Amino acid sequence: MIALETHDLTVTYHKRPVLYGVDVEVEEGSLVGIIGPNGAGKSSLIKSIMGVIPTSGGWTKVFGKPIQENLHRVGYVPQRESVDWDFPVTVMDVALMGTYGKLGLFRRAGKKEKFIASEALDKVGMLPYAKRQIGNLSGGQQQRVFLARAIAQDSDLYFMDEPFTGVDAATEATIITLLKEMREKGKTVLVVHHDLQTARDYFDHLLLLNMRLVAYGKTEDTYTTELLQKTYGGRLTILDEVAGQAANLPEASHYQ
Amino acid sequence: MLSWNPWGWMMMMCFFVALPCALLGVYLILRRMSLVGDAISHSALPGIVVAFAFVGDLSSPWLLVGAAVAGVLVTVLIEQIHRRTRIKQDSAIGIAFTSLFALGLVLIRFLVGDKVHLDQDCVLEGDVSHVAYAKIVSMFGADVPDALIPAGIVAIATVILITVFYRTLTLSSFDSGLAASFGYKPGVVHYALMAVLSVVVVAAFEAVGAILVIALLILPGATAYLCTHRLKLMLVLSAVHALISSIAGIYISVYFNGKESAGVVIAGTLLFLLAWLVGPVDGVMVKAVQRRKNTLDKSELE
Amino acid sequence: MSLDLFHYLALTLGQKAPIAAICVGFCCGLLGCFVVVRRVALVGDAISHAVFPGVVAGFIWSPDRNPWMIFLCALVAGLFGVVVVRAIVSSTRLKSDAALGIVLASFFAFGVFWNSTQQLAGVKGYLFGDLTTIADGDLWMMTGATAAVTTLIFIFLRPFRVLSFDEGFAIGLGYPVRFLNALFFGLLAFAVVVAMQAVGVILVSAMLITPAATAYLLTDRIQKMMGLSVLIGVFAAVGGWWISGLDNRLQTGPVITLLASFIFALIYLFAPRHGVLAKFLRHAGRKSRVHRENTLKSIYRILEGEGFKVAGVGVEQLAEVRKLSIEDVLKDGKDLVDNDEATWEEGKTAIYLTSPGWRRATEIVRNHRLWELYLTDQADYAADHVHDDAEKIEHVLGADTVRKLERDLNFPEFDPHGKPIPSLEATLTMEKTIGKQEGTGY
Repeated sequence: MIALETHDLTVTYHKRPVLYGVDVEVEEGSLVGIIGPNGAGKSSLIKSIMGVIPTSGGWTKVFGKPIQENLHRVGYVPQRESVDWDFPVTVMDVALMGTYGKLGLFRRAGKKEKFIASEALDKVGMLPYAKRQIGNLSGGQQQRVFLARAIAQDSDLYFMDEPFTGVDAATEATIITLLKEMREKGKTVLVVHHDLQTARDYFDHLLLLNMRLVAYGKTEDTYTTELLQKTYGGRLTILDEVAGQAANLPEASHYQ
Repeated sequence: MLSWNPWGWMMMMCFFVALPCALLGVYLILRRMSLVGDAISHSALPGIVVAFAFVGDLSSPWLLVGAAVAGVLVTVLIEQIHRRTRIKQDSAIGIAFTSLFALGLVLIRFLVGDKVHLDQDCVLEGDVSHVAYAKIVSMFGADVPDALIPAGIVAIATVILITVFYRTLTLSSFDSGLAASFGYKPGVVHYALMAVLSVVVVAAFEAVGAILVIALLILPGATAYLCTHRLKLMLVLSAVHALISSIAGIYISVYFNGKESAGVVIAGTLLFLLAWLVGPVDGVMVKAVQRRKNTLDKSELE
Repeated sequence: MSLDLFHYLALTLGQKAPIAAICVGFCCGLLGCFVVVRRVALVGDAISHAVFPGVVAGFIWSPDRNPWMIFLCALVAGLFGVVVVRAIVSSTRLKSDAALGIVLASFFAFGVFWNSTQQLAGVKGYLFGDLTTIADGDLWMMTGATAAVTTLIFIFLRPFRVLSFDEGFAIGLGYPVRFLNALFFGLLAFAVVVAMQAVGVILVSAMLITPAATAYLLTDRIQKMMGLSVLIGVFAAVGGWWISGLDNRLQTGPVITLLASFIFALIYLFAPRHGVLAKFLRHAGRKSRVHRENTLKSIYRILEGEGFKVAGVGVEQLAEVRKLSIEDVLKDGKDLVDNDEATWEEGKTAIYLTSPGWRRATEIVRNHRLWELYLTDQADYAADHVHDDAEKIEHVLGADTVRKLERDLNFPEFDPHGKPIPSLEATLTMEKTIGKQEGTGY
């Protein structure tokens, strides 16, 4: 089954193209690394799929339906810096947030939810710190808490934005073990990653991105010098120049 | 209980006004929107004046409607200015609220004339003392001044709203990306918060005026923020701050023979200063100790 | 008549109020530019509220209302406010917005309370502003302060510019950034105190922000922005003072603020480049151009299908291809004719392209097919996926880009679908033949 399908996904920011016509189909049960140079639109790709930032063209389907209808099957782990770590919540509170999606607007978190959250925290080795304020954690610990929240969400498809950035070696190992475990359970995980060295060992699929989709496929097919050079070889200047202007145009009339 | 003295009623009035401000203020601080609160409190003025010109009664619920409209209007103006031009949000806030406040000041002179209780003094410093001379009505078997009732209703409604939407508010304030991925609409939460804020501001308007409201909004939350790492406790502490500053504020104003509303804010400021010095989490004096403890903890962990 | 006007001007300028208004507009307009570009507008707001207890102190400590005493106390209070904001931000987790709110409200409350215990008359004039009660001493102080602020800004123009743009870079240059910041916020407090008599402490931020923000919509250069901002500020202050004289219920402060906001609203709507209307018109113009170009392209394709043997396209045929009703096609045709890109056959049954129309049609088709080729060849898109994209891009490719594309693609003749890409020469030859047909056609 296809877990994620995007068609002609295009994102512009302040008249600058960020993503341009991305078409990709991800099979269920894949562990995908999204690779590309800085500014290649890696984070924008998952944010636009999640609907966190607006797109200027194209569509996305998750398990065959528009993502808005299937949100409960999708988990999102934003970049660590995207939230205020001074926020007055505890580690346990954050893990509990993972269960909010299934609870709806009004049902209170009960024993079951607390059990799920503590189990998730236990998995990432953060249960002893459950009562701690999140600001008092190290970078790696904060990332583990985010991961626990994702586990508590119990989704079928996950998007993770740079989970390996600024974490210690032990946390990195924990995260990758967990990701592989998730894949064994048939979950689909897309991870924005910027370390080319480790990408080959961590992921079974790679999505090479540099504003446009350079390649998507099994790691052994895509981790080639030629494709990597294409990905990191700088942007196509004309595409870069022109694509931004096009975003301001009214929708093209469709006729043939 | 039934034969409270005037000061008692004033304290109660101040508390009913300060409590909803304090609770909403917690979220304003966490969302880094304190100054949007400032903008709304100034901008409520034209809404109140226009509504008052129509109904001629300061305790009419239409004033709440007028202020809520003005509050949403200023939020929309700010958005329109900073979305459509290169002017940044802070300047947009400044332009929007000064315009509406100035408009309100002009309208007072033209629409209201010299009628009592809505003049420039009231805008600036409000008036709590009228509670003491208000008509007494019977409610739930107790005799209460009628001026207390609308403020009481707003206070209770705010407490209920925050309890019911606690999770939505908290999650969308902490991580709007995740909230959006759960299908919560951050835009809806934002505008709803602004509308409730305007209503709360106008409920406080008669008592403390348009400018001192900002103190009631920010000081309790800021004080609580320096004292705890827990959101629920922060909400409780900000309510406690509202209570203490209401009571102490009336005492201060009686002692120095000053304005009650300003007295309440001064009491609140003193509590903030206290928390800044010795607050258990962020107090300057406690901090040195705290920091050393933290480093110890961390080295233990790693 | 002109003598009368001159006389009137001389009289006006002889009064204290307009001179004070000019000072306020000048001082705030100038400094406001840096306030707006540095994004510290709300620091200005906080300072303006924070000076209030200083005003009260000035009234209490100087029974004869010495303006210098009031000025000094207000200045000290404003600066103390800035220091407290910095202290809160640096020593706690509270963010700057909360710190500004705390200082603004608590200082102001202290002023209100102190004033209410003393029952001072005249303090209220500083809250809402009143130009008409300005005394000689006030005026001297205001002019002096304005001169000082202006001089200092011009002396430190370059460092302030660098500082506003990039504080880190300023540190790298070895500028004394701490000193410059202290000076900047000092000047800000100065300007607030100068303006508070005219517009009141609550509305001072309007004078600081609105004229400068208006100027920001009109120009990209800071010197020009400063000039415009001063102009707008002075105009709003003097004009507001004049308007408020028309009705005794009007006070100078709110009227000046509203006039400044009104100017802002006008510029916001009608500014040539950054105005909302200009943006809207640009968008609408682009939309109708795109629409015309799509009609032209359809005509080209029909002609291409016929092997360029005929010169005109029937209205019904065009309607069928474009999947539109006859009326819509007639309307589209009218757009082309109005734009000199086509002519009607008598009775409007068919449409012929004129030379400019023909040229544009060829350009659009060339753009479309070149772009499709570029995407498949150089950006590795699949051939069945590039059409939609080219539908958009064809309208925005400029002549330079087209030349670059042709060179990069080695002057191609066919697009990925095998259709010919009309070259420039072909266009010109075609244009001649069509022109001939046009001449002999009917």
